[in-house]
Amino acid sequence: MGQNWTFGRKVGLGFAAVVALAVALGAVAVYALRAVTAAKDRVIEVDAQQLIDAEAVTAALERKSASLRAFLLMGTGKYLDDVTAAREEFSATLERLRAAVRTDEGRAAVDGIGKAEAAHRAAADSVIALKKSGAAVEEIERVFDAEMAPKRVALRDAVKAFVVNERALLDAAKTAASDSAASAITLVMVIAAGALLLAFALALVLTRSLGRQIGTAVGQVQSSSGELQAAATQQATGAKEQSTAMAEITTTISELLATSRQIAESAQRVARIAGDTAGAARSGQATVERADEAVGAIRRQVELIVGHMLDLGKKSQQIGAVLEIVAELAEQTNILAINATIEAAGAGEAGRRFAVVADEIRKLSDRVASSTKEIRGLIDDVRGAVNTTVMATESGAKAVDSGTRQFADVASAFKQIVDLISTTTEAAREIELSTKQQTTAVEQVNQAIANVAQATRETEASSGQTLQTASQLAALSRDLHLLVRPAAAA
Amino acid sequence: MAADRSTAAGLAAALRQAFDRSFAEPARRDADDLVELLAVRVGGDPYALPLAEGAGLFAGRPVVPVPGPLPELLGVAGVRGLLVPVYSLRALLGYPGAEAPRWIFVVRSAEALAVAFDQIEGHRRVARASVAPLARPAARLHVVEAARLEGEVRPIVSLASVIQAIQQRARPAVPPKER
Repeated sequence: MGQNWTFGRKVGLGFAAVVALAVALGAVAVYALRAVTAAKDRVIEVDAQQLIDAEAVTAALERKSASLRAFLLMGTGKYLDDVTAAREEFSATLERLRAAVRTDEGRAAVDGIGKAEAAHRAAADSVIALKKSGAAVEEIERVFDAEMAPKRVALRDAVKAFVVNERALLDAAKTAASDSAASAITLVMVIAAGALLLAFALALVLTRSLGRQIGTAVGQVQSSSGELQAAATQQATGAKEQSTAMAEITTTISELLATSRQIAESAQRVARIAGDTAGAARSGQATVERADEAVGAIRRQVELIVGHMLDLGKKSQQIGAVLEIVAELAEQTNILAINATIEAAGAGEAGRRFAVVADEIRKLSDRVASSTKEIRGLIDDVRGAVNTTVMATESGAKAVDSGTRQFADVASAFKQIVDLISTTTEAAREIELSTKQQTTAVEQVNQAIANVAQATRETEASSGQTLQTASQLAALSRDLHLLVRPAAAA
Repeated sequence: MAADRSTAAGLAAALRQAFDRSFAEPARRDADDLVELLAVRVGGDPYALPLAEGAGLFAGRPVVPVPGPLPELLGVAGVRGLLVPVYSLRALLGYPGAEAPRWIFVVRSAEALAVAFDQIEGHRRVARASVAPLARPAARLHVVEAARLEGEVRPIVSLASVIQAIQQRARPAVPPKER
């Protein structure tokens, strides 16, 4: 039997062999039964029927005798008809027997019955004729006893001999049928015993083959279940460690979530403060711009003042120039007065009055010169003051320029600050948004971790269940191995 | 009514009053008791020139240098149609160094000449009693008397002495010619 055959093929082949044996056994049994049945049928249909027909011949004989006696007693024609009918029946039955018998003794017995019946019928006819003739009863009785009775006894004996013969044939046929049935039983029993032996051999071969194959498979199953048990143990340990790790992760994620929420709140506060700062910075920028405009106005005013002062200086210079003319005129007047005095001194008495006029002119020129000097001093003072003012104003203008530039720098720096604060505000808002998203993500992670932790716990339980199942499977495979190969398992 | 001279309006009023008063005063009769002086500065020192010895005062006249025997001669200048030799008063008084004099004072004399100096302080009139001869010889040439003027002693340059000295020094070479 092939090693690579499947269990189904092997078991199917075994069952096919057993079924073939059963079919053969059945066929033999059917054949034997049919042989036995045929023998019995022949016994029943031939021998028993012949015996029955013999009994029917006997009965017809008896009824013919009875009908004849009744006629003899009563003398009515009705009984005579019965006698005739009984005679026909007897003849028909006898003819059927003649056709049925097969043996020479049978045919001789039938011939004997026919001859006795013919003798009996002749005797009867004589009696019937005597009756019909109206003979005395005693005559009839004497004839009957003398003629009829021996003939009837002879017929009866002939019939009995036939029956005995037929009975003997029946017994012989029965015995032959019984022998045939016994031999059929013996054949069936022999074939059944052979089939049993073959089935036992098949069962032994199947058991050994399947046991070897199943044992190998069970051994593999046992090995695999052992490995599965080890793996399940490892998995259970891993699941437990994973569950512990998941618990730690859950705790950490919870702390992270709390921290993230705190960060989100802080980011919100920062964003709010940054927004306030941005508002204050914008207000400050507006103030700086107004101050810048004011500084620009001051600068323009200072430039205007410088212009006016320069004009004033120019006017002072013009006044000085005019004053130089006046001084020159005064000096020339003075020279004229002095010369007039000199001339008057040389003119004697007439010059004295002229000298007075000249003296007054000289005084006037002196006063003009003095006033001119004062005016020059005043103009110098004015010019000094103007120069000082111009210098101060120019230094003020320079200071204003420097201040304007510094203020422009301040405004630029403030604008930069405003931009940076805007950027900071935007960044703070982005941080706030990101932190909120991060918090949401951490919450989702927390939820997911919780689900994973739940799944891990379920995995732990499942791995425990798996370990238990693997252990049961290992035990089951061990038991199965014991069942299949007790010696090998031991 | 005395006007307040501290303000320009008061000063103008005072000047007007003084000017008006000059017409109201009688003509002076004490002219002989007064000495007319021209206050000048030479080499930084105050001096006075007697106006009575002068013939005219001129300013800014160009002086054309001419060669001559006297180092004090600056050149000649045109005055009222005449060429007048101009001498440096600074050099005449014995001050060292040179100067670019602006003023020319023509001396009243037979020989026309003029002295030049740099700075003039003005016309002064002093009483003759304020003029006194110097007790001891002066440190400078041509100074024989001095006038007390405005609280200081101002030497008076003797123009006659100057003319004489020039004439004395110039005569051996070129006798002055009268025009």
